[in-house]
Amino acid sequence: MLKLRGVRKRFGSLEVLKGIDLDVGKGEVVCILGPSGSGKSTLLRCINLLEPPEEGEILLESQDICRGPGSGTGEQSWNLDFVRQRVGMVFQQFNLFPHRTVLENVTMAPEKVLGRAKGEAREKGTALLERVGLADKLSQYPERLSGGQQQRVAIARALAMEPRVMLFDEVTSALDPELVKEVLDTMRELASEGMTMLVVTHEIGFAREVGDQVVFMDGGVIVEQGPPAEVLERPREERTKRFLGLVLDR
Amino acid sequence: MSQFFNQYFNFDVMREHFGEVLVGFLQNLLVFAVAAVLALALGLFLALLRQLPGRKLMPIRFVTIAYIDFFRAVPILIIILMISGGVPFLSFLPQEVRIPHWFGRPDPFWYGVAALVIVYGAFSAEVYRAGIEAVPRGQMEAARSLGMSHFQAMRHVVVPQGVTKIPAPMLNELISLLKDTTLVSVIALSESVLVSREVLSERLNSSSLTLTAIFFVIIILPLARVVDKLIARQQLKVTRGSHIEVA
Repeated sequence: MLKLRGVRKRFGSLEVLKGIDLDVGKGEVVCILGPSGSGKSTLLRCINLLEPPEEGEILLESQDICRGPGSGTGEQSWNLDFVRQRVGMVFQQFNLFPHRTVLENVTMAPEKVLGRAKGEAREKGTALLERVGLADKLSQYPERLSGGQQQRVAIARALAMEPRVMLFDEVTSALDPELVKEVLDTMRELASEGMTMLVVTHEIGFAREVGDQVVFMDGGVIVEQGPPAEVLERPREERTKRFLGLVLDR
Repeated sequence: MSQFFNQYFNFDVMREHFGEVLVGFLQNLLVFAVAAVLALALGLFLALLRQLPGRKLMPIRFVTIAYIDFFRAVPILIIILMISGGVPFLSFLPQEVRIPHWFGRPDPFWYGVAALVIVYGAFSAEVYRAGIEAVPRGQMEAARSLGMSHFQAMRHVVVPQGVTKIPAPMLNELISLLKDTTLVSVIALSESVLVSREVLSERLNSSSLTLTAIFFVIIILPLARVVDKLIARQQLKVTRGSHIEVA
Protein backbone atom coordinates (compact mmCIF):
# COMPACT_ATOMS: atom_id res chain seq x y z
CA MET A 1 0.00 0.00 0.00
CA LEU A 2 2.60 2.49 1.14
CA LYS A 3 6.33 2.10 0.89
CA LEU A 4 9.01 4.58 1.93
CA ARG A 5 12.63 4.28 0.89
CA GLY A 6 15.39 6.57 2.10
CA VAL A 7 13.11 9.54 2.69
CA ARG A 8 15.01 12.67 3.67
CA LYS A 9 13.71 16.11 4.54
CA ARG A 10 15.55 19.19 5.68
CA PHE A 11 14.45 22.64 6.77
CA GLY A 12 17.36 24.91 5.93
CA SER A 13 20.40 23.40 7.59
CA LEU A 14 18.35 21.20 9.89
CA GLU A 15 17.90 17.66 8.65
CA VAL A 16 14.63 16.47 10.12
CA LEU A 17 14.33 13.10 8.40
CA LYS A 18 17.57 11.23 7.80
CA GLY A 19 16.53 8.39 5.56
CA ILE A 20 13.30 6.69 6.53
CA ASP A 21 12.33 3.21 5.27
CA LEU A 22 8.87 1.97 6.07
CA ASP A 23 6.35 -0.50 4.68
CA VAL A 24 2.69 -0.26 5.42
CA GLY A 25 0.39 -3.01 4.22
CA LYS A 26 -3.24 -2.61 3.29
CA GLY A 27 -5.42 -2.40 6.40
CA GLU A 28 -2.43 -2.09 8.67
CA VAL A 29 -2.28 0.32 11.59
CA VAL A 30 1.17 1.72 12.19
CA CYS A 31 1.70 3.70 15.36
CA ILE A 32 4.65 6.07 15.41
CA LEU A 33 6.10 6.98 18.79
CA GLY A 34 8.98 9.20 19.75
CA PRO A 35 10.03 12.34 21.57
CA SER A 36 9.03 15.72 20.18
CA GLY A 37 11.33 16.90 17.43
CA SER A 38 12.05 13.35 16.34
CA GLY A 39 10.47 13.96 12.92
CA LYS A 40 7.25 11.98 13.35
CA SER A 41 4.94 14.76 12.25
CA THR A 42 7.23 15.72 9.39
CA LEU A 43 7.11 12.12 8.21
CA LEU A 44 3.32 12.24 7.99
CA ARG A 45 3.45 15.60 6.24
CA CYS A 46 5.89 14.16 3.71
CA ILE A 47 3.52 11.33 2.92
CA ASN A 48 0.73 13.66 1.80
CA LEU A 49 3.26 16.09 0.29
CA LEU A 50 2.42 19.00 2.57
CA GLU A 51 6.21 18.95 3.05
CA PRO A 52 7.60 17.19 -0.03
CA PRO A 53 10.78 15.27 0.81
CA GLU A 54 14.02 16.22 -0.92
CA GLU A 55 15.27 12.70 -1.37
CA GLY A 56 13.94 9.18 -1.38
CA GLU A 57 10.90 7.44 -2.71
CA ILE A 58 7.39 7.26 -1.42
CA LEU A 59 5.34 4.64 -3.22
CA LEU A 60 1.61 4.85 -2.80
CA GLU A 61 -0.20 1.95 -4.41
CA SER A 62 3.12 1.32 -6.22
CA GLN A 63 3.20 4.82 -7.73
CA ASP A 64 6.16 6.96 -6.81
CA ILE A 65 4.54 10.16 -5.65
CA CYS A 66 7.79 12.10 -5.30
CA ARG A 67 8.63 12.06 -8.97
CA GLY A 68 7.34 14.30 -11.66
CA PRO A 69 7.63 17.95 -12.55
CA GLY A 70 7.84 20.23 -9.57
CA SER A 71 8.10 17.43 -7.06
CA GLY A 72 10.38 17.79 -4.10
CA THR A 73 10.46 21.54 -4.39
CA GLY A 74 7.26 22.41 -2.58
CA GLU A 75 5.65 23.16 -5.91
CA GLN A 76 2.61 21.68 -7.51
CA SER A 77 3.38 18.16 -8.48
CA TRP A 78 1.33 16.22 -10.94
CA ASN A 79 0.93 13.70 -8.17
CA LEU A 80 -0.74 16.05 -5.72
CA ASP A 81 -4.26 15.15 -6.76
CA PHE A 82 -3.39 11.48 -6.81
CA VAL A 83 -2.00 11.70 -3.29
CA ARG A 84 -4.45 14.03 -1.62
CA GLN A 85 -7.43 12.08 -2.89
CA ARG A 86 -6.03 8.87 -1.48
CA VAL A 87 -4.52 10.13 1.74
CA GLY A 88 -6.62 11.77 4.46
CA MET A 89 -5.10 13.68 7.33
CA VAL A 90 -6.28 14.64 10.79
CA PHE A 91 -4.37 17.35 12.66
CA GLN A 92 -3.51 17.97 16.28
CA GLN A 93 -5.29 21.32 16.21
CA PHE A 94 -8.35 19.97 14.31
CA ASN A 95 -8.18 22.81 11.77
CA LEU A 96 -11.91 22.74 11.17
CA PHE A 97 -13.22 25.58 9.02
CA PRO A 98 -14.75 27.91 11.63
CA HIS A 99 -16.88 29.83 9.12
CA ARG A 100 -18.76 26.73 8.01
CA THR A 101 -21.16 24.43 9.83
CA VAL A 102 -20.17 20.95 10.86
CA LEU A 103 -21.92 19.41 7.87
CA GLU A 104 -20.45 21.96 5.47
CA ASN A 105 -17.00 21.16 6.83
CA VAL A 106 -17.54 17.59 5.73
CA THR A 107 -19.22 18.27 2.39
CA MET A 108 -17.00 21.11 1.16
CA ALA A 109 -14.17 19.06 -0.32
CA PRO A 110 -16.38 16.41 -1.96
CA GLU A 111 -18.41 19.18 -3.60
CA LYS A 112 -15.53 21.41 -4.66
CA VAL A 113 -12.87 18.81 -5.41
CA LEU A 114 -14.79 15.74 -6.53
CA GLY A 115 -17.67 17.72 -7.99
CA ARG A 116 -20.29 15.77 -6.10
CA ALA A 117 -23.85 17.04 -6.23
CA LYS A 118 -24.91 18.95 -3.16
CA GLY A 119 -27.62 16.49 -2.15
CA GLU A 120 -25.38 13.50 -2.53
CA ALA A 121 -22.57 15.13 -0.56
CA ARG A 122 -24.93 16.10 2.24
CA GLU A 123 -26.38 12.62 2.41
CA LYS A 124 -22.96 11.07 2.66
CA GLY A 125 -21.71 13.72 5.07
CA THR A 126 -24.66 13.13 7.33
CA ALA A 127 -23.99 9.40 7.30
CA LEU A 128 -20.35 9.97 8.19
CA LEU A 129 -21.21 12.31 11.02
CA GLU A 130 -23.69 9.77 12.31
CA ARG A 131 -20.95 7.21 12.24
CA VAL A 132 -18.73 9.37 14.48
CA GLY A 133 -21.69 10.01 16.76
CA LEU A 134 -22.44 13.60 15.84
CA ALA A 135 -25.74 13.32 13.99
CA ASP A 136 -27.25 15.99 16.26
CA LYS A 137 -24.56 18.60 15.50
CA LEU A 138 -24.90 18.95 11.73
CA SER A 139 -25.87 22.62 11.63
CA GLN A 140 -23.69 23.74 14.55
CA TYR A 141 -20.56 25.79 14.04
CA PRO A 142 -17.33 24.11 15.13
CA GLU A 143 -16.61 26.55 17.98
CA ARG A 144 -19.73 25.32 19.78
CA LEU A 145 -18.33 21.81 19.96
CA SER A 146 -15.97 20.29 22.48
CA GLY A 147 -12.46 19.43 21.38
CA GLY A 148 -13.31 15.75 21.15
CA GLN A 149 -16.36 16.45 19.01
CA GLN A 150 -14.34 18.78 16.79
CA GLN A 151 -11.73 16.13 16.27
CA ARG A 152 -14.39 13.58 15.33
CA VAL A 153 -15.75 16.06 12.78
CA ALA A 154 -12.22 16.37 11.41
CA ILE A 155 -12.06 12.59 11.04
CA ALA A 156 -15.42 12.54 9.25
CA ARG A 157 -14.23 15.38 7.03
CA ALA A 158 -11.16 13.41 5.98
CA LEU A 159 -13.20 10.24 5.45
CA ALA A 160 -15.59 12.10 3.16
CA MET A 161 -12.87 12.05 0.49
CA GLU A 162 -12.83 8.24 0.66
CA PRO A 163 -9.11 7.96 1.40
CA ARG A 164 -7.23 4.67 1.23
CA VAL A 165 -4.80 5.79 3.93
CA MET A 166 -5.46 7.96 6.96
CA LEU A 167 -2.76 9.97 8.72
CA PHE A 168 -3.32 10.99 12.33
CA ASP A 169 -0.94 13.62 13.67
CA GLU A 170 -1.11 13.60 17.49
CA VAL A 171 -4.85 13.95 17.24
CA THR A 172 -5.48 13.60 20.97
CA SER A 173 -2.65 15.80 22.22
CA ALA A 174 -4.70 19.00 22.29
CA LEU A 175 -7.65 17.35 24.05
CA ASP A 176 -8.70 17.39 27.67
CA PRO A 177 -8.04 13.94 29.16
CA GLU A 178 -11.72 13.03 29.45
CA LEU A 179 -12.25 13.66 25.74
CA VAL A 180 -9.41 11.49 24.51
CA LYS A 181 -11.36 8.25 24.69
CA GLU A 182 -14.15 9.26 22.34
CA VAL A 183 -11.62 10.11 19.64
CA LEU A 184 -9.60 6.95 20.18
CA ASP A 185 -12.80 4.90 20.05
CA THR A 186 -13.61 6.41 16.68
CA MET A 187 -10.13 5.53 15.44
CA ARG A 188 -10.39 2.04 16.89
CA GLU A 189 -13.60 1.51 14.97
CA LEU A 190 -11.99 2.78 11.80
CA ALA A 191 -9.09 0.37 12.26
CA SER A 192 -11.45 -2.54 12.79
CA GLU A 193 -13.15 -1.66 9.50
CA GLY A 194 -9.85 -2.22 7.76
CA MET A 195 -8.62 1.32 7.17
CA THR A 196 -4.91 1.69 6.59
CA MET A 197 -3.68 4.11 9.23
CA LEU A 198 -0.49 5.88 10.26
CA VAL A 199 -0.88 7.21 13.76
CA VAL A 200 1.59 9.54 15.43
CA THR A 201 0.65 9.34 19.07
CA HIS A 202 1.72 9.40 22.68
CA GLU A 203 -1.07 6.99 23.61
CA ILE A 204 0.95 3.86 24.35
CA GLY A 205 -2.18 1.97 25.30
CA PHE A 206 -3.75 2.66 21.94
CA ALA A 207 -0.58 1.63 20.13
CA ARG A 208 -0.43 -1.63 22.05
CA GLU A 209 -4.06 -2.49 21.49
CA VAL A 210 -4.74 -1.28 17.96
CA GLY A 211 -1.32 -1.10 16.32
CA ASP A 212 -0.14 -3.84 13.99
CA GLN A 213 3.27 -2.23 13.95
CA VAL A 214 4.93 0.19 16.30
CA VAL A 215 7.66 2.48 15.03
CA PHE A 216 9.90 4.34 17.44
CA MET A 217 11.59 7.42 15.99
CA ASP A 218 14.28 9.65 17.40
CA GLY A 219 16.53 12.25 15.80
CA GLY A 220 15.06 11.80 12.34
CA VAL A 221 15.60 8.05 12.07
CA ILE A 222 13.58 4.95 12.89
CA VAL A 223 15.29 3.51 15.94
CA GLU A 224 13.18 0.42 16.29
CA GLN A 225 10.10 -1.10 14.78
CA GLY A 226 8.03 -4.23 15.07
CA PRO A 227 4.85 -5.63 16.55
CA PRO A 228 3.68 -3.70 19.62
CA ALA A 229 4.28 -6.65 21.91
CA GLU A 230 7.95 -6.61 20.99
CA VAL A 231 8.73 -2.92 20.78
CA LEU A 232 6.67 -1.91 23.77
CA GLU A 233 7.30 -4.87 26.08
CA ARG A 234 10.81 -5.92 25.12
CA PRO A 235 12.54 -2.98 23.45
CA ARG A 236 16.05 -3.75 22.29
CA GLU A 237 17.36 -0.26 21.84
CA GLU A 238 18.50 1.84 24.76
CA ARG A 239 16.77 4.98 23.45
CA THR A 240 13.44 3.17 23.14
CA LYS A 241 13.74 1.84 26.67
CA ARG A 242 14.50 5.27 28.04
CA PHE A 243 11.58 6.87 26.17
CA LEU A 244 9.09 4.18 27.18
CA GLY A 245 10.35 4.37 30.75
CA LEU A 246 9.65 8.08 30.83
CA VAL A 247 6.24 7.76 29.20
CA LEU A 248 4.98 4.78 31.15
CA ASP A 249 6.33 6.10 34.41
CA ARG A 250 3.89 8.97 34.63
CA MET B 1 -10.36 88.23 15.23
CA SER B 2 -13.67 89.23 13.73
CA GLN B 3 -11.86 89.58 10.41
CA PHE B 4 -10.70 86.01 10.68
CA PHE B 5 -14.16 84.90 11.67
CA ASN B 6 -15.69 86.71 8.75
CA GLN B 7 -13.14 85.21 6.34
CA TYR B 8 -13.86 81.61 7.30
CA PHE B 9 -17.30 81.61 8.90
CA ASN B 10 -19.33 84.03 6.85
CA PHE B 11 -22.72 82.35 6.96
CA ASP B 12 -24.11 84.51 4.17
CA VAL B 13 -21.44 83.23 1.80
CA MET B 14 -22.10 79.68 2.95
CA ARG B 15 -25.82 80.02 2.43
CA GLU B 16 -25.55 81.65 -0.99
CA HIS B 17 -23.13 79.03 -2.34
CA PHE B 18 -24.49 76.04 -0.46
CA GLY B 19 -26.00 74.51 -3.57
CA GLU B 20 -22.85 74.72 -5.70
CA VAL B 21 -20.61 73.33 -3.00
CA LEU B 22 -23.07 70.52 -2.34
CA VAL B 23 -23.12 69.56 -6.03
CA GLY B 24 -19.33 69.59 -5.93
CA PHE B 25 -19.37 67.39 -2.86
CA LEU B 26 -21.68 64.93 -4.58
CA GLN B 27 -19.02 64.74 -7.28
CA ASN B 28 -16.53 63.75 -4.55
CA LEU B 29 -18.90 61.06 -3.33
CA LEU B 30 -19.34 59.76 -6.85
CA VAL B 31 -15.58 59.56 -7.48
CA PHE B 32 -15.28 57.86 -4.12
CA ALA B 33 -17.99 55.29 -4.82
CA VAL B 34 -16.59 54.24 -8.18
CA ALA B 35 -12.96 54.26 -7.02
CA ALA B 36 -13.75 52.39 -3.79
CA VAL B 37 -15.44 49.47 -5.54
CA LEU B 38 -12.65 49.13 -8.10
CA ALA B 39 -9.84 49.63 -5.55
CA LEU B 40 -11.29 46.94 -3.25
CA ALA B 41 -11.45 44.53 -6.17
CA LEU B 42 -7.94 45.38 -7.40
CA GLY B 43 -6.59 45.13 -3.85
CA LEU B 44 -7.97 41.63 -3.38
CA PHE B 45 -6.57 40.59 -6.73
CA LEU B 46 -3.11 41.96 -5.84
CA ALA B 47 -3.22 40.32 -2.40
CA LEU B 48 -4.02 36.96 -4.01
CA LEU B 49 -1.20 37.34 -6.52
CA ARG B 50 1.14 38.10 -3.66
CA GLN B 51 0.12 34.89 -1.88
CA LEU B 52 0.71 32.58 -4.84
CA PRO B 53 2.73 29.54 -3.73
CA GLY B 54 5.89 27.98 -4.98
CA ARG B 55 9.15 28.95 -6.59
CA LYS B 56 7.94 29.06 -10.18
CA LEU B 57 5.50 31.86 -9.46
CA MET B 58 8.07 34.02 -7.73
CA PRO B 59 8.29 36.52 -10.63
CA ILE B 60 4.58 37.22 -10.27
CA ARG B 61 4.95 37.75 -6.53
CA PHE B 62 7.94 39.98 -7.12
CA VAL B 63 6.17 42.18 -9.66
CA THR B 64 3.13 42.43 -7.40
CA ILE B 65 5.22 43.50 -4.42
CA ALA B 66 7.06 46.03 -6.59
CA TYR B 67 3.72 47.46 -7.75
CA ILE B 68 2.38 47.70 -4.22
CA ASP B 69 5.53 49.31 -2.85
CA PHE B 70 5.83 51.76 -5.71
CA PHE B 71 2.30 53.07 -5.61
CA ARG B 72 2.28 53.34 -1.86
CA ALA B 73 5.36 55.51 -2.10
CA VAL B 74 4.45 57.94 -4.90
CA PRO B 75 2.22 60.89 -3.96
CA ILE B 76 -1.25 60.51 -5.41
CA LEU B 77 -1.17 64.04 -6.75
CA ILE B 78 1.73 63.09 -9.02
CA ILE B 79 -0.11 60.03 -10.27
CA ILE B 80 -3.18 62.11 -11.04
CA LEU B 81 -1.12 64.66 -12.96
CA MET B 82 0.79 61.99 -14.85
CA ILE B 83 -2.32 60.10 -15.89
CA SER B 84 -4.21 63.15 -17.03
CA GLY B 85 -1.11 64.50 -18.75
CA GLY B 86 0.04 61.22 -20.26
CA VAL B 87 -2.87 58.94 -21.11
CA PRO B 88 -4.39 61.28 -23.75
CA PHE B 89 -1.16 60.92 -25.74
CA LEU B 90 -0.91 57.14 -25.67
CA SER B 91 -1.73 56.82 -29.34
CA PHE B 92 -2.04 53.02 -29.29
CA LEU B 93 -5.12 53.33 -27.08
CA PRO B 94 -8.52 53.93 -28.66
CA GLN B 95 -9.90 57.43 -28.44
CA GLU B 96 -12.55 56.56 -25.84
CA VAL B 97 -9.89 55.26 -23.48
CA ARG B 98 -7.48 58.13 -23.99
CA ILE B 99 -10.16 60.72 -23.35
CA PRO B 100 -12.93 58.82 -21.58
CA HIS B 101 -16.40 60.24 -21.21
CA TRP B 102 -18.07 57.09 -19.97
CA PHE B 103 -21.49 57.39 -18.34
CA GLY B 104 -21.57 61.06 -19.14
CA ARG B 105 -18.68 61.85 -16.79
CA PRO B 106 -15.88 64.16 -17.99
CA ASP B 107 -12.37 62.83 -18.59
CA PRO B 108 -10.86 64.35 -15.38
CA PHE B 109 -13.38 62.27 -13.46
CA TRP B 110 -12.00 59.06 -14.97
CA TYR B 111 -8.37 60.10 -14.73
CA GLY B 112 -8.96 60.82 -11.06
CA VAL B 113 -10.74 57.53 -10.53
CA ALA B 114 -7.92 55.68 -12.28
CA ALA B 115 -5.22 57.30 -10.14
CA LEU B 116 -7.11 56.64 -6.91
CA VAL B 117 -7.81 53.02 -7.88
CA ILE B 118 -4.17 52.40 -8.75
CA VAL B 119 -2.95 53.81 -5.44
CA TYR B 120 -5.71 52.58 -3.14
CA GLY B 121 -5.59 49.18 -4.80
CA ALA B 122 -2.03 48.97 -3.49
CA PHE B 123 -3.02 50.14 -0.01
CA SER B 124 -6.01 47.85 0.28
CA ALA B 125 -3.89 44.93 -0.96
CA GLU B 126 -1.83 45.34 2.17
CA VAL B 127 -4.95 45.32 4.32
CA TYR B 128 -6.24 42.15 2.65
CA ARG B 129 -2.82 40.62 3.10
CA ALA B 130 -2.93 41.29 6.84
CA GLY B 131 -6.31 39.57 6.98
CA ILE B 132 -5.18 36.60 4.91
CA GLU B 133 -2.02 36.16 6.94
CA ALA B 134 -4.02 36.31 10.17
CA VAL B 135 -5.79 33.08 9.18
CA PRO B 136 -3.92 30.22 10.86
CA ARG B 137 -1.68 28.19 8.55
CA GLY B 138 -3.50 25.05 9.56
CA GLN B 139 -6.56 26.21 7.62
CA MET B 140 -4.68 26.21 4.33
CA GLU B 141 -3.05 22.90 5.19
CA ALA B 142 -6.34 21.27 6.09
CA ALA B 143 -7.91 22.49 2.86
CA ARG B 144 -4.94 21.31 0.81
CA SER B 145 -4.89 17.94 2.56
CA LEU B 146 -8.51 17.50 1.46
CA GLY B 147 -7.41 17.82 -2.14
CA MET B 148 -8.32 21.45 -2.73
CA SER B 149 -6.03 23.45 -5.00
CA HIS B 150 -4.31 26.55 -3.66
CA PHE B 151 -6.93 28.66 -5.40
CA GLN B 152 -9.86 26.64 -4.05
CA ALA B 153 -8.43 26.78 -0.55
CA MET B 154 -8.01 30.54 -0.83
CA ARG B 155 -11.48 31.03 -2.19
CA HIS B 156 -13.48 28.76 0.08
CA VAL B 157 -11.43 28.70 3.27
CA VAL B 158 -8.78 31.41 3.71
CA VAL B 159 -10.23 34.55 2.13
CA PRO B 160 -13.73 34.21 3.65
CA GLN B 161 -12.10 34.08 7.08
CA GLY B 162 -9.47 36.72 6.30
CA VAL B 163 -11.97 39.38 5.24
CA THR B 164 -13.85 39.12 8.53
CA LYS B 165 -10.72 40.35 10.27
CA ILE B 166 -10.20 43.55 8.30
CA PRO B 167 -13.33 45.77 8.19
CA ALA B 168 -11.82 48.30 10.58
CA PRO B 169 -8.50 48.93 8.81
CA MET B 170 -10.26 48.78 5.43
CA LEU B 171 -12.73 51.42 6.53
CA ASN B 172 -9.79 53.61 7.50
CA GLU B 173 -8.43 53.26 3.99
CA LEU B 174 -11.82 54.18 2.58
CA ILE B 175 -11.95 57.29 4.76
CA SER B 176 -8.58 58.37 3.35
CA LEU B 177 -9.82 57.62 -0.15
CA LEU B 178 -12.87 59.81 0.33
CA LYS B 179 -10.69 62.71 1.47
CA ASP B 180 -8.21 62.20 -1.34
CA THR B 181 -10.95 62.63 -3.94
CA THR B 182 -10.40 66.36 -3.40
CA LEU B 183 -7.01 65.99 -5.08
CA VAL B 184 -8.75 65.50 -8.39
CA SER B 185 -9.53 69.23 -8.27
CA VAL B 186 -6.01 69.75 -9.58
CA ILE B 187 -7.06 68.50 -13.02
CA ALA B 188 -10.18 70.66 -13.03
CA LEU B 189 -12.85 68.24 -11.94
CA SER B 190 -15.61 70.38 -10.45
CA GLU B 191 -15.60 68.77 -7.07
CA SER B 192 -16.16 70.58 -3.78
CA VAL B 193 -12.69 72.01 -3.24
CA LEU B 194 -12.46 73.38 -6.76
CA VAL B 195 -15.93 74.89 -6.46
CA SER B 196 -14.99 76.38 -3.11
CA ARG B 197 -11.88 77.96 -4.53
CA GLU B 198 -13.90 79.45 -7.35
CA VAL B 199 -16.19 80.96 -4.75
CA LEU B 200 -13.11 82.17 -2.89
CA SER B 201 -11.76 84.05 -5.88
CA GLU B 202 -15.16 85.44 -6.70
CA ARG B 203 -16.11 86.59 -3.19
CA LEU B 204 -12.62 86.86 -1.69
CA ASN B 205 -14.00 84.80 1.16
CA SER B 206 -12.98 81.32 2.36
CA SER B 207 -16.20 80.26 4.01
CA SER B 208 -17.00 77.95 1.13
CA LEU B 209 -13.90 75.91 2.07
CA THR B 210 -15.17 75.72 5.62
CA LEU B 211 -18.48 74.50 4.29
CA THR B 212 -16.71 71.80 2.29
CA ALA B 213 -14.82 70.75 5.39
CA ILE B 214 -18.11 70.50 7.27
CA PHE B 215 -19.54 68.20 4.57
CA PHE B 216 -16.59 65.87 4.92
CA VAL B 217 -16.79 65.87 8.70
CA ILE B 218 -20.50 65.07 8.62
CA ILE B 219 -19.91 62.03 6.43
CA ILE B 220 -16.68 60.80 7.98
CA LEU B 221 -17.26 61.22 11.71
CA PRO B 222 -19.93 58.51 11.89
CA LEU B 223 -17.65 56.22 9.86
CA ALA B 224 -14.86 56.80 12.36
CA ARG B 225 -17.24 55.74 15.14
CA VAL B 226 -18.08 52.62 13.16
CA VAL B 227 -14.36 51.84 13.00
CA ASP B 228 -14.13 52.15 16.79
CA LYS B 229 -17.09 49.80 17.20
CA LEU B 230 -15.59 47.25 14.84
CA ILE B 231 -12.25 47.32 16.63
CA ALA B 232 -13.97 46.92 20.02
CA ARG B 233 -15.97 43.99 18.71
CA GLN B 234 -12.89 42.35 17.23
CA GLN B 235 -11.09 42.81 20.54
CA LEU B 236 -13.95 41.16 22.39
CA LYS B 237 -13.93 38.24 19.99
CA VAL B 238 -10.21 37.72 20.47
CA THR B 239 -10.38 37.78 24.27
CA ARG B 240 -13.50 35.69 24.50
CA GLY B 241 -12.56 33.22 21.82
CA SER B 242 -8.89 32.93 22.72
CA HIS B 243 -9.09 29.27 23.66
CA ILE B 244 -10.90 28.58 20.41
CA GLU B 245 -8.32 30.45 18.38
CA VAL B 246 -5.58 28.32 19.91
CA ALA B 247 -7.47 25.05 19.72
